[in-house]
Amino acid sequence: MSPSQVRRFLLGILICCTPELFAAKVSVDPSEWGDPLGKECISCHEKSSSGLTKQWRQSAHAEAGVNCLDCHKASVDDNDAITHEGQVIATIVSPLDCSRCHTVEYEQQKGSVHSEAVGIIENRLPALAGHVGGDAIVAAGCDQCHGSKVEVRIDGSLDPRTWPNSGIGRINPDGSKGSCSSCHGKHRFSKAQAREPSACIRCHSGPDSPDKAIYEASKHGMQFEAHRDEMALESDNWVAGKDYVAAPTCVTCHMGAAGKLKANHDVGMRNAWSLNTPVSMRQQLVVFEDGEKIELPESHSPPRRGSEISKADGSMGKVKAVASPKRRRQAMKLVCLECHSKAFTESFMNQFDEVVRLFNEKFGIPAKRIMQTLYSEGLLTPAPFDEPIEFIYWELWHDEGARARHGASMASANHTWWEGMYLVGRNFYSRFLPQLERIAGEEKANALIQAYVTSNDHHQWLEQPQKSNPILGYDVKRQADE
Amino acid sequence: MSKWKLPSFITRHVLMALVIGGIAGIGFMLFLIEFDELTSSEAFCTTCHSMEIAAETYRSSTHYNPVSGVRASCGDCHVSEGVVAATWDHFLGGKDLLTQISGKLFGPDYDDPVINTLHLPEAAFAAREWFKARDSATCKRCHVLEAIQGKRADTNTIHREETQGKSCIDCHINLVHRKVPDEQTFKRERWLQMVEEEFGLEPGGAQRLLAE
Repeated sequence: MSPSQVRRFLLGILICCTPELFAAKVSVDPSEWGDPLGKECISCHEKSSSGLTKQWRQSAHAEAGVNCLDCHKASVDDNDAITHEGQVIATIVSPLDCSRCHTVEYEQQKGSVHSEAVGIIENRLPALAGHVGGDAIVAAGCDQCHGSKVEVRIDGSLDPRTWPNSGIGRINPDGSKGSCSSCHGKHRFSKAQAREPSACIRCHSGPDSPDKAIYEASKHGMQFEAHRDEMALESDNWVAGKDYVAAPTCVTCHMGAAGKLKANHDVGMRNAWSLNTPVSMRQQLVVFEDGEKIELPESHSPPRRGSEISKADGSMGKVKAVASPKRRRQAMKLVCLECHSKAFTESFMNQFDEVVRLFNEKFGIPAKRIMQTLYSEGLLTPAPFDEPIEFIYWELWHDEGARARHGASMASANHTWWEGMYLVGRNFYSRFLPQLERIAGEEKANALIQAYVTSNDHHQWLEQPQKSNPILGYDVKRQADE
Repeated sequence: MSKWKLPSFITRHVLMALVIGGIAGIGFMLFLIEFDELTSSEAFCTTCHSMEIAAETYRSSTHYNPVSGVRASCGDCHVSEGVVAATWDHFLGGKDLLTQISGKLFGPDYDDPVINTLHLPEAAFAAREWFKARDSATCKRCHVLEAIQGKRADTNTIHREETQGKSCIDCHINLVHRKVPDEQTFKRERWLQMVEEEFGLEPGGAQRLLAE
């Protein structure tokens, strides 16, 4: 083996031996399922809800003899337990219910950015949905992707303001977070369906997470469209580079098995950067003993194994493992390496990282500092979205900035530039800075621009107004020659 | 003289007693029929204030305002058919009247919406038992199993093919009055908490009232 092969081999071992990056095959004794009492449900339900029973008949569950009651059975103490035809059941099958058999996947998704999707927006909701939108938007909009906090009414029925819902971070009546059916459509639970990009784009589309458009516009999406019949989507084993090579889907890179890298239901595990924040950070993932996780910036010294640090909810937790951004990136690159050379992979990642750094340095950090000054000096009211610059700033990082960064991460040139960084730049120069002057007055605005913008190398061109270019039809040099 | 001779013990007095007794009996039966009819009406039931609380939810239910215009009164559901059974049900109902009156004097006062709601689950469970014991007979006064169409295509089939050994009340609860979970999955603490929130009681207040 060459030294580089040895390094790759060792890295592979390192990553594969980390429990968080490892997924075992589900194995539960078949005597554990196929509740005899659950065989009776079908007779009535094929009449009352024929569509879903037909879907179940097509499922691997039906094939294996897993019936309605196996998933829907509840204990009388469960918050949402109801008596139905003599059985104690619950409408919602929570990840905890699925974990009766799918334990590994449950443990992996626990604490992931998906299962914590409610917490991510909890603080923003009152401003966005409350001020800009309204309660109706929370139930039919926000919560449908992020998840609702399902409320059980006193008679055991589910509060219609919180149900139906298959948001990926749904807070279930049993306290578990997440919704497996968000990606694995009930009641067929098709492997192929969950591996399709369409499983993700129900939510990962639109301004803040335009991954549908980005993927479709990328080489990967192009290959997927052209060769989807070679994707082995129905295959029991689905290892990139082995069972299929035509194209990667969202799942391939973010969750899938590739070469020695095992599949993992923590979708954010391989993300070295945070891309949906005002300023991107390289992040280390801290996994606690109880399975919960938090992201810490790379600048934070890595917590020691066994030490106690504060969790997302403020309580203390014992650290079980820490994945540095470097290791997370290495895991992601193992996927790339199934088809690309090491140099190709490294260079691509470099191009991506440079775009993120550009966004941070040129726009993200200056805009954030200016906004902080406007708030702290009382030039803006503390209430978000009651002043135009607040929308401008929000869209700068949340929409356009996210699009640029996502575009670079998944190789859509168009989204990186025209749909992304170009709009960030246009927004910054032609809306954000003029608004700043309106709010702060010329003198104060100039001071802020001097402090955060023109002193920054990326904005040096603003100091050279005489330097022309023919792009808009006027070129000083040519005018002088003529 | 006729060949058919009355037995000698049928004297004139006996004959008169029979006639009078017969008329009185008929009168009594007519009275019972009228009594059962009158005492099955919403107007009569709600002369007790505690029943007015139950009637409130009833008046917003489909049994009060069905599209067909067929309105079920209190007794249509809660009093059996036939004069004997109806009278017996009213006799049993007398217990509620006694509870109501004794409650007024010694507590708990069922006219108080808080007390009423606190004790509602037991009333609901008892009512469901009552329906179950009679195989939902009063439902079947109006609802004919074979004729149930429903909104879904297969509702009729389900009622014809999937109801062996089942009674209406097994599936159809919480149609008219305030919703109470099935006894098996009922959670007292949640019910008490609901009462506390709804009526602005201090925590633990509902439990204390219930114990009184």
